[in-house]
Amino acid sequence: MNYLLHILIMINIYAILVFSLNLLVGYGGLLSLAHAAFYGIGAYGTTLLMMGIGVNFFPALVAGILMSSFFALFIAYPSLRLKGDYFILASLGFQIIVFAVLYNWIGLTRGPYGIPGIPRPRLFSLEIDSLPEFFIFTGVIFLLVFFFIRILCRSPFGRALKAIREDEMTASALGKNIPSLKIWAFVISAGVAAISGALYAGYVTYIDPTSFTLDESIFILSILLVGGSGNIKGPLVGAVFMIILPEALRFLGLPDTIAPNVRQMIYGFLLVILMRYRPQGLAGEYRFE
Amino acid sequence: MILQFIANGIITGSIYALTALGFGLIYNTTRIFHIAYGAVYTTSAYVFYTFYKILNLPLFVSVIAGIAGGVILGILIEMIVYYPLYKRKASSGIFIISSIGVYIFIVNLIAMVFGNEVKILSPGIEKTYEFWGIILTRIQLIEFGGFLIMFLFYIFLLKRTSFGKMVRAVASNPFILPSFGVNVRKLRIEIFAAGSFFASLSSCMVAWDIGMDPHVGMPVLLVSAVSVIVGGVGVFLSPALGGLLIGLTQSLVVWRISARWEQAVTFVILILFLLFRPQGLLGIRKRVEEVL
Repeated sequence: MNYLLHILIMINIYAILVFSLNLLVGYGGLLSLAHAAFYGIGAYGTTLLMMGIGVNFFPALVAGILMSSFFALFIAYPSLRLKGDYFILASLGFQIIVFAVLYNWIGLTRGPYGIPGIPRPRLFSLEIDSLPEFFIFTGVIFLLVFFFIRILCRSPFGRALKAIREDEMTASALGKNIPSLKIWAFVISAGVAAISGALYAGYVTYIDPTSFTLDESIFILSILLVGGSGNIKGPLVGAVFMIILPEALRFLGLPDTIAPNVRQMIYGFLLVILMRYRPQGLAGEYRFE
Repeated sequence: MILQFIANGIITGSIYALTALGFGLIYNTTRIFHIAYGAVYTTSAYVFYTFYKILNLPLFVSVIAGIAGGVILGILIEMIVYYPLYKRKASSGIFIISSIGVYIFIVNLIAMVFGNEVKILSPGIEKTYEFWGIILTRIQLIEFGGFLIMFLFYIFLLKRTSFGKMVRAVASNPFILPSFGVNVRKLRIEIFAAGSFFASLSSCMVAWDIGMDPHVGMPVLLVSAVSVIVGGVGVFLSPALGGLLIGLTQSLVVWRISARWEQAVTFVILILFLLFRPQGLLGIRKRVEEVL
């Protein structure tokens, strides 16, 4: 039961991440490999505020979101000028630079030693520390994010983003302000990713830079692409798939030492197969055309 | 002291240059951002390891096997994954995601079979040579020599053979060659074989020098891609310049600041280039519509 709850909590955290990335990839058409960086900035920002100044989880979370959104500007600006492969490479560069700062700025982040003993989130006088409480807590936040993103995607903003994705020149000819739309997509996406970073830090109570590497970015992207991007269903399927897969592998009796590798191999294999036969993923809409 | 760091920078730079030449060959002709190139690099090192340490075959045979392993994998990726997408005229996004998929698959397969720990090949301390106060090991000299030979060979290949002529033709206009009756499928296979050869050769040399783990391919791929952009997209020899430049910069960073910042500095260079000189050092300025 505890194991199941742990998985479900991680799914909630990842689902938030995947939904925020969907805004960029599926709606904006911007294939970004920098999402673990925003996840990390959220986790570190919130943690450092909680432990350094001693503020409560929620104000720290808001500050973490703002911080992550601010750093999103550094990647949003190049996205206005770079296309295709060049933008992917720039986002990858941003990811690596953020990781290097988290890893090497020992005075601030304690670098490879990580930050242990992160306090649990507190809601008024209630400390959220048991697994069921955490499940409900992350679940509620996930639902809030879910509805926020759903409203956003159905709003004129979401439709304008889709228009850019399909044909930037036409969208701009129709009077859409492309730079502003793209920058907002980045700011919102990075802010939402920071929420899952803060939840992760509060849940695990220990963070170190190895949770926010390029491999993690690739992993988040592959969940989204397996599920599919560009609508609400796709990321949900990706996240659910992520629950079932490790369980199914346990069912097959794979030893724990190779199970993570097998899981990643399945993701890699699925990406190749899906791109060949079904580029929109299992349940997505955007076909990368 | 500074001379030693410059020498080290040139040696690392020549390895980067070698892998970047291969990546550039593939990128300039097929426009595939070949992330699985990192997996080719890793595989070659592990095939080398398998032949040399597990099957106990002679060094020479093992190196050839390692290179062959990488080249075969490169060809297989093109035949099984990329070519069907090319025929379907898939977008660059599809190619890059497929390539990521291949990379994830192969690297995790290797990690599953061989484990995540570092494997060492060379038995002991390398013989060292001293020139005017600069100390270099034997393998470092081989790395530098390998790069020089391959660089000259590559120039010959591009300028003097019909393969080179077709490669340059594809790079300047990918659509015109088929209408001249050139077998594009065969040409693409040759391009992938040649590109993978560059990666495999440098992979085997580096594996002998410092060993390997399943994740060695990614940093090498990243540096290669950055070298191609910094050197200039569309020019076949420019990745070598980019690679040497990055090798030297990293070495100076190690000397003046700290080894832990070398990767970050590489990407700071990349982002500066992308923003202020997107055509790279030697590249030709193109309009956005032409690039895509």
